Amino acid sequence: MDNKKGYELKEDIIIINRDLTELDIFVKDFIEILKKHSDYLIVSGFVSISTGRTRGTEDIDVLVPVMDKNKFQKLFHDLIYNNFWCYQGDDVDEVYLYIQRMDNIRFARKNEVFPNIEFVPINEMRKAKYFEFTHPQKIKIKDFEFKIPPVEFEILYKEIILGGKKDIEDAKHLRTFFSDILKEERFKKYEIIIREEKQ
Amino acid sequence: MKDIDYVKLYAEKLKSNPDLFKQQKMLIESQLHASSSLFNNMFAGKNFKENARKYLKNVGLTK
Repeated sequence: MDNKKGYELKEDIIIINRDLTELDIFVKDFIEILKKHSDYLIVSGFVSISTGRTRGTEDIDVLVPVMDKNKFQKLFHDLIYNNFWCYQGDDVDEVYLYIQRMDNIRFARKNEVFPNIEFVPINEMRKAKYFEFTHPQKIKIKDFEFKIPPVEFEILYKEIILGGKKDIEDAKHLRTFFSDILKEERFKKYEIIIREEKQ
Repeated sequence: MKDIDYVKLYAEKLKSNPDLFKQQKMLIESQLHASSSLFNNMFAGKNFKENARKYLKNVGLTK
């Protein structure tokens, strides 16, 4: 064992001291295409797993601001060109109807079903989601840098809104692993936003 | 020991011993390989997307 810790904070970026997994590489490949076309935020299970929680997952939730059809067409075709397929269909016009309705869509790698990216369209009406989207925390594993919610926000969202066994365990993992950098004032501020979402 | 206590203990150890990430990598990749193998066998030699979509609709993952 060397003297490294599980993570370190450098210039507000959380650096996780581990090698990339095949799951990370799947997410990285998708995000590299997505970010050519749009901003994004990775939320939920992958936040815990990427920081060391030992559990499996089938989907990676990614918040993406609603985009117009032209922009979506370019993104969709880029994903297909790069060997992803969409659960909801091959016809971009049909798939865009989901985005218009603010319904989630999913992408997996060609000839695979899992893991998949759950593409979650958001706008300002989804207040809690929009808040986390506009307050990203950068995190880095080797050469893969990506954006997640503030860790305190992610913990409270799992504890207050989601609340299942898996979510409570994820929150406990984040509270314990990041105990040295969590800020009480952020918990207080974010709890108000999250409780408003619950009402 | 309850599951939640184990989660806390593991996270505490992980903070000071990143070598434990190697175990996590093995578990995650093992699950990915098992899933990939299962679906390749289920839909082998057929129209993968068409059959996968039927399956996903049946299990409620798509409408």
